[in-house]
Amino acid sequence: MKINFSNKKITGMLSILPSNEVMFEDEMHNYSFSEAKSLKLKAAMGFKSKRVVAEESTTSFDLTVAGLDYLFENDLLDKSSIDAILFVSQSPEFIMPPTSNLLHGKYGLEERVFCMDINQGCAGFVVGLQQAFMLLNNEGINKVVLCNADVLSPKVSKFDRNSNPLIGDAAAITIIENTSDNTTIVGEIRMDGSGAMALNIPAGGARMPVTEETSELYEDTFGNKRSKNHLVMQGDNVFNFVQTKVPEQIKNIVDNSDDSVESIDYFLFHQPNRFMLQKLADKIGVSREKLPFNVVENFGNSSGVTIPVVTTYNLGEQLETSELKVCFSGFGVGLTWGTIIMKLGNLNFCRLIYK
Amino acid sequence: MEDFLEKMAEIMEVDSVNPSDELTSFEAWDSLTTLSIIALADDDYQVSLTNAEIADAKTIEGLHQLILSKQNA
Repeated sequence: MKINFSNKKITGMLSILPSNEVMFEDEMHNYSFSEAKSLKLKAAMGFKSKRVVAEESTTSFDLTVAGLDYLFENDLLDKSSIDAILFVSQSPEFIMPPTSNLLHGKYGLEERVFCMDINQGCAGFVVGLQQAFMLLNNEGINKVVLCNADVLSPKVSKFDRNSNPLIGDAAAITIIENTSDNTTIVGEIRMDGSGAMALNIPAGGARMPVTEETSELYEDTFGNKRSKNHLVMQGDNVFNFVQTKVPEQIKNIVDNSDDSVESIDYFLFHQPNRFMLQKLADKIGVSREKLPFNVVENFGNSSGVTIPVVTTYNLGEQLETSELKVCFSGFGVGLTWGTIIMKLGNLNFCRLIYK
Repeated sequence: MEDFLEKMAEIMEVDSVNPSDELTSFEAWDSLTTLSIIALADDDYQVSLTNAEIADAKTIEGLHQLILSKQNA
């Protein structure tokens, strides 16, 4: 699906990270790897520390509420100005009702405020942004609050070196508004459902409810132990998909627009690990300085929240006072890959807080 | 082939490798070396490999043949 919008802009971005920090070394003895091999893994992938919720009772909803409270308390967002709330997550509060409706109820929002949950993972920021732009084309919708939140650390086996070292928890709130400025927003989202199970959590939905049996740990061919309640990832397929599809998509968008790769100041990408991001930068032909890859080593991969995290962490102050041309790209679960090129800046807020 | 042998030696953390060497016989063999092989095939040969295909290739030579056959496909 092509993305083509004008007269819309992002006016604020806030990331919320758990204050609880876990070091790679704290957990590496759980993996079926010698210490030397674990340290090699750490160096190649860029693992160091990650931010995960201290208690499993802290949810995506809780992190989002911490962010909204911060915005209301600091007069950065006016409750009555909100026209729609999008909540993008793979860790909703309940199967029913939607988490966005819970937020609506908690803050006593007006009945006219539209709520929608979106089930998306690594591409969740790009999908959410595209949905926000579409909502803004409707009469009476002038401000959309996009909430990206995922607490997946409880869904990852501590004995799985494929996923556990990299998964982090986070939430982000992005404000998207109509503007009279003649902005240009271009991009594209593509899907390949034949690869839908490349990243999945087998049990917990209607197809396979959680039972005692699904909670038993099993060992895979590489010696990782996980249960069917845990996230499982076909790393080889995901790697190949990202390295092929993402550069292709960016080239197509740039070729069909007035933009060039050189005219883009920053490539703010989903953050799977350092290894994949450095390879992507080389493939797209941009210097590694323009494509920050420091989120996994400092915070962990928080699925659809990583793009706001990479933005607020690296460019927070700069984006509050100046404007840059950026390329957002998210890719993963679905399989879904989406890219948006737009100007970003002079934001009312662009910050990272801890809860 | 020479260049491929050199790069495989680097991945397997040894001075040199022989075409007949079995992939699983190297001390460095693990999921991380598999990923390095996938990245090598992608970077140098523009070929996508999976873990299962690499395991089926068995030897250094088998792996080289696999990459070449995919490149010509």
